[in-house]
This record gives sequence, C-alpha cells and structure tokens, in this order.
Amino acid sequence: MKLSTLASAILLSTATASVAAQTIEVSITNLTKAMHFTPRLVVAHDATVDTFEVGTEASTALAWMAEAGVIEDEQNADSAGQNFEALLGPEDTDNGTNTWHRFGGLVEPSSTLSYPFDTMDYEYLSIVTMLVPTNDAFAGLDSIEIPTEPGTYTYYLNAYDAGTELNDELNSARTDIVEEGGAALGGYGLPGMAGVGASPVPVGMGATGVAVTVGFDQDGNALAAPNEVVDGTDGPVHIHRNVLGDTDDTAGASDLNSRVHRWLNPVARVTITVPAA
Amino acid sequence: MNSRLLKLSIIPFFAIALAGCDGDDGAQGPAGATGPQGEQGVQGEQGPQGEQGEQGPAGGVGTLATYTVKVINLTYSQPFSPAAVMMHEPGFQPFVDGEAASLGLEVLAEGGNPDDLIAEAMASSYYLDAVRGEGTPQRSEGTETTLIVPTLDTDNLRLSLVTMLVDTNDAFTGLNAADISNMEVGDYRMFTAPSWDSGTEANTETAATIPGPAAQAAGGGGAAAGFDAARDDVFDRVHFHPGVVTNANATDPSLEGLSDSVLSEGDRWDNPTARIVVQRTR
Repeated sequence: MKLSTLASAILLSTATASVAAQTIEVSITNLTKAMHFTPRLVVAHDATVDTFEVGTEASTALAWMAEAGVIEDEQNADSAGQNFEALLGPEDTDNGTNTWHRFGGLVEPSSTLSYPFDTMDYEYLSIVTMLVPTNDAFAGLDSIEIPTEPGTYTYYLNAYDAGTELNDELNSARTDIVEEGGAALGGYGLPGMAGVGASPVPVGMGATGVAVTVGFDQDGNALAAPNEVVDGTDGPVHIHRNVLGDTDDTAGASDLNSRVHRWLNPVARVTITVPAA
Repeated sequence: MNSRLLKLSIIPFFAIALAGCDGDDGAQGPAGATGPQGEQGVQGEQGPQGEQGEQGPAGGVGTLATYTVKVINLTYSQPFSPAAVMMHEPGFQPFVDGEAASLGLEVLAEGGNPDDLIAEAMASSYYLDAVRGEGTPQRSEGTETTLIVPTLDTDNLRLSLVTMLVDTNDAFTGLNAADISNMEVGDYRMFTAPSWDSGTEANTETAATIPGPAAQAAGGGGAAAGFDAARDDVFDRVHFHPGVVTNANATDPSLEGLSDSVLSEGDRWDNPTARIVVQRTR
C-alpha cells in the first residue's frame, strides 16, 4: 500500500516536471530617455529567494548590482563573496532554490533585447538591472509567478533606489574630489555613478553634489577637507525619486543633465513568451 | 430465525383443524364478547449503541470577516499622514478624478486629518467599517489596521484608503474603492498607488501652506499651515499630482527650481508612492 502510493507520487511529479520544464523567451525594453541598463540578472527561483523587497534593507549583493552593475566575480573580483553569485550559487546551475543567468551588454534607451532562459521548473522570476548613470538606481521585477500557459505576458518595471548610497550625482571619473578619507570616487570599486566605466551618455564635471554637498557632511557641517564627499545610506529600498540634474555641465549641483537624464516610471517593459508545448 | 421457526410450526396445526370439520355445518353462533386486554409485556433489553453518524458539513467562518490593511511608504522623504481606511459596498468613493474634492478629502489632503473623510464614509449607505490608521514614515512599512465587516458582504467588497503626503500642499495617495471581493481567509492582495492632487490648494510649496516637517524646519508647518477652506488651485478638480518643484536648482543658471519653496530635492517622488497590502485573517 505504502509502496504503491510512493510509486504513484513519483510518477505524478515526473509528469508535472515534464509539463512545466520550459525555456521561456525573456525580452527587456528600456523605456527611458537616456539611461542605460547594465547586464541583467535574470533569476528563476522558489519562494525562499528574494532579490529585493521595498521597505527592506538591500543585501550586499543588491548594493553591488545597483551601485556598480556587478552580479558575479567575473565582472569584478573585489565583489567575490558579496555579490549575487555568492548569494545564489553558480550561474546556469540548478542551485536547489534558484537558477540564474547574467545577460551581458548594455540595453540602450528605447531598445529591446531578448533571450531564451531555462527556468528549470522554478515558480518565480525576478530581474534586476542598474540604471546608468546613477548612484544606485535599478529597475526591478519582483518575484512574478512564471506563467505556464503558452502565450506572451507583459510586465512594467519601476525604478528603485537601493538605498545603499547617497544620490550625490557626481561623476565618478572626477579626480578633483575624493571619498571621505581620500579614496578615489566609485563606491564598490568601480566608477561609481557611471557604474560600468565611462558613461554611454555624456556626464558633466564640476558639480557640487545633490543629496550631499562636496566638503560638507549630511547635516551641512563643513568638513576639514573641502574636496571630500561623504558617502552614506538612504535605505531601505524604495521607489527612486528620479535624478535631479541641472543644465550646467561644468557647475551646478549635479553632473547629470535635467533635460536628458530624468525618467518617470515605468522604466522598463519585460515580456515573457511561453512557447506552445 | 426464531420467528421463522414459529411460523413453520403453525401451518401444520391449521391443516389438522381443517381436516376435523367434516360434519353438518350448524348455524354460525353470534360472535363472543371481546376478551379483556392482556397484560403489558415486559420491556425488552436495551439494544446495542448505533454507529456514529457521518461528520456534518464544515461550519461557516462566522458572521463577521476580519481584514488587516498595511501601507508601505515607497517615497524617499514624504511622511504619510494618519490614513482614512474604509471598507464599503460598491457605490461609495472617497473621490472621483476630474470632479471637485469633498470637504472631507480637502481636510485630509491639505492638513493630514482623516476624521472628516471617515465621517463622510460612515454617512454613506454603503459604509461597512472604517479605521483611522497611524501615519507611515517615509520609506517604511506602516502599522496594520484591522477592519471587520459582515461575512455576507465579502462577495462584493471595496477598500478605500486615503493618506496625505504631508510635505506637500495637497497631495495624497491611496485606493479609490479597490475591489477586494471574494477573499478567502488567509488570502492577501497587494496594490500599488499613484499620487493625486486634491485640486483644492495652489501648489505654492511655502512654509505657511504645508503642514509637514519640511515646512516646520522653515518656521511654518503644523495645523495652521494645513486645511484652508479657500479653494485656490488652478482647477477645483481632483487630478494626478504633477510632483513638487522644490528649491533645488533655484539659484543656478538653469533656474529650474522654485526659490521660495521650502522643499528640497529629497522631497521629490515618482509613482507609485504607496503599496497597500490587505489580508483576510478571519
């Protein structure tokens, strides 16, 4: 009696697996005017995995992704042990609770990239990608249930602020200013605001800072070194209030351009295509 | 088995009696008088207990259904006022886009006090329950409120929630008669909400017209800077909020900012401004 129950259970689960096992098409459209999307983390997972959650402090892995566009060691060795690769397990592997892939390259404004992705039967799908040039803005798809019926499904993504870095909007390529303590700008070891090196959209130089001013702490008190920038946090994860920018590429509060770099939600469209069986 | 044996033994007895009636038949005599009733027999022993009956259908969940409602503030720096949290049947709406705000909505959207709007809901014939929720600080999860409605109404139920972005003239976010019908115990539903402008106060962003902490830091704010009966916005209609200008970039060459605004760039937001989670707990 017991044996036959077991046997039929196994039979059932095999049957379910063969139905659900699917490679879906994931297509991402950048809806912004002038923000680029860094390499995308696409992860299929069970209910125990959460790449981000509004109202909750960001993980170190999310900080690396949102501040520097880094998902795995291969992109930046300094992130080893702290990035999503460390959090989730090896890429393109069934890690027991998830499977994930990094889709490389930048998604330019008003463009779409599509990829096949093997979900390995996991129930949920999440996507995160950094918006550059920003301090720590990212577009996120938070644990949607992966559809199983053949068809095309559309989702709109908002821009979130990881809350792990103040939105100073200062060009990380600048050498006239430094982090508090004297280190070069760049947050998690990469050109900070631009994330993936030189920004694909021209960014100014010489601004004094938006959320925090060069040479002052967060409360407005002057620092001993007038060329230092205080970094701080502004978490937990929340909806990004948008960049401020200004119209002066060599001065003003921001190294971003208010007529170019701003956005409004949604910032991305994701379509999932489940092929006919 | 016993009774069967008895029947079998009676049959031969009748056969013998019939066989003995061979002579002349005399006239039939009159029927004899009815004999006296026999004594009552002794009571039999009690029979064995019957089997237990089948289990009846599961009982209902009672006559009242309980829901919890939680607000998550998604903004960087806009605290939310105490909220008007209202459950009702379809028919009531705290506001209608493109129409003038009710007085209760104006009081809430300008000054952050939900009591008048709750009173308007209670006066509606569609009203079921309402709670004055606590305020929700910026980028945080708020406190749960609990509402109770008759179970009979759960199949066609609406949730409305209005809370002010207090560092504004008259911005609010929330739900406008969102459908929460047919939730089972344990179910939850999640909504994200944009922000509206009640259209009842000009968006001057001054210390004298904003009740929240940004205006207080500039020497204004509080109740005196909240509700004002005058309706001096461009159009007296509820509409989507265009966002705040703030004093950022007010003095640089771009002149994009509003120099007499008491708001800073941190007070800006993008939609959605709130996530609302409702769960049926009983």
